[in-house]
Amino acid sequence: MNPSPETGAKCEVLFTVNGEAKKVLAHPMERLLDVLRNELELTGTKEGCGEGECGSCSVLLDGMLVNSCLVPVAQASGASIVTIEGISAHALMNPLQEAFLECGGAQCGICTPGMILAAVHLLEKKPEPALADIREGLAGNLCRCTGYMQIFEAVARAARRRVRK
Amino acid sequence: MDRIAQVVGISPVEIRRRNFLKPGQTTTTQQVIREEINLNHLLDRALELSGYAAKKTRFAEENRDGMRKKGIGIAAFLHGAGFTGSGERYLNSLVGVEAGADGNVRVLVSSAEFGQGTNTVLCQIAAEALGLPYESVAIAQPDTTVVPNSGPTVASRTAMIVGKLVQSAAKGIKETLTKTGVLRDDYTREQFCAACREYIAAHGALKSYARYEAPGDVYWDDEKYRGEAYAAFAWAVYVAEVTVDLTTYAVTVDDFVALQEVGKVLHPVLAEGQITGGVAQAIGFALYEKVVWQNGRMINNQMTNYIMPTSVDLPPIRVFFEELGNVHGAHGAKGIGELPMDGPAPAIVNAVEDAIGVRFHSIPLLPEDLFEALRPASVEQEAPSSTRGAA
Repeated sequence: MNPSPETGAKCEVLFTVNGEAKKVLAHPMERLLDVLRNELELTGTKEGCGEGECGSCSVLLDGMLVNSCLVPVAQASGASIVTIEGISAHALMNPLQEAFLECGGAQCGICTPGMILAAVHLLEKKPEPALADIREGLAGNLCRCTGYMQIFEAVARAARRRVRK
Repeated sequence: MDRIAQVVGISPVEIRRRNFLKPGQTTTTQQVIREEINLNHLLDRALELSGYAAKKTRFAEENRDGMRKKGIGIAAFLHGAGFTGSGERYLNSLVGVEAGADGNVRVLVSSAEFGQGTNTVLCQIAAEALGLPYESVAIAQPDTTVVPNSGPTVASRTAMIVGKLVQSAAKGIKETLTKTGVLRDDYTREQFCAACREYIAAHGALKSYARYEAPGDVYWDDEKYRGEAYAAFAWAVYVAEVTVDLTTYAVTVDDFVALQEVGKVLHPVLAEGQITGGVAQAIGFALYEKVVWQNGRMINNQMTNYIMPTSVDLPPIRVFFEELGNVHGAHGAKGIGELPMDGPAPAIVNAVEDAIGVRFHSIPLLPEDLFEALRPASVEQEAPSSTRGAA
């Protein structure tokens, strides 16, 4: 847990999180990751490296895939943010969840919320991705357990199922 | 192995063929190989799956020109499952299986699930032993006030050692029910549930424990460090195909075949995940992950400067299993957790040597290491135009 910066410097930040308008009182440089987890109790977003290398804290910010550990909350002012919790209603969620389960796409699970967000982001842009697109689309999300192969398979399978529907 | 082959003037394949352990032969600790393992068969299959012979010839031809040199290398290896020597005997692991009045079964072990699939596999084993659907079995949280000490989650021992104990303990539940006359040998899930209810009403809790017993033919001498070092080995032949870029000095792995004999594969998807994950980590170990120490501390302890493979750095990791079965493990399973860490680095170093003719004695092979190793050599070999053409 990060110690909260001094109270006096806090400011009001307004943004939309998973479709709901939110107002938080936070230091402008507080990490979006911490605001999501600590203030809004959306703990599905995981902290991995805390330096923007591993992607496990990925969220969508105005449709862009970002590392929430690198985003000062002030920068998210007025933005629309989608976290793993908000993805549960997404049309891609069931196919992705099922495919991750079937293919062994998750092991320890720490990278999984970020992987799912990266996969959603990819499939929204490219509904029928080639293997190279999948590799590229997930390149910012590190996984130590799976060796990625079963994740690629899961994303490809989810894409095929969605296209067929 | 490849160096010995070079010195005696035979191929990397032939040196392995001639020296493979065979059933009946002994290891360095005088352990007699009792498993019916045929390593030549494993090698043949790995060579075929990787297209080794054709690639070896083609790369030798193509490497004459250009700045990108290709190579292919083999590693044949084994990994003991469970603790070494007397380790399992000292651990003396205990496992429990409990059935409730509702006929639901709980597996009581101290093994920890961290994504490798322990919970799934141990529940599968108990369900199989009891003839129940998988959904009837759950695993208890590994809280030491609830579960017995089944040993640590290490040493490629969980599926084989703990799994076997789960199987025995589950059979104990069935035996208790049949011996007390509340269950027939041949039963449905409903009959099993009714039997549990009846037994518990009459006798109280229905639990069965199994303690590790060393197989009769496994003996280890702690004084002389001789004997059966492991109750079973997993055997493997891995083949790596690489490209060495002489402009950037980077090595990339283009294809990776991981063939192993691990006894019975209890869960194909999870087992494959263990292997691909291990191979990926070991490719990092071979090519990227350099730990830099200073004053007893790792100074590159950030993901910014400690580089692990991303989704674009890895080749297709193609996993294949042979299943010979093994009497010691649950349903013939052996350990697989550590195995895939052993083979990739030697296979990659051998492939790099095949590509550029330089042998390395340490890993990781960073571009800087290749640059250093190739610098004097390329100066000496300036005359033939081999590596000087435009990329």
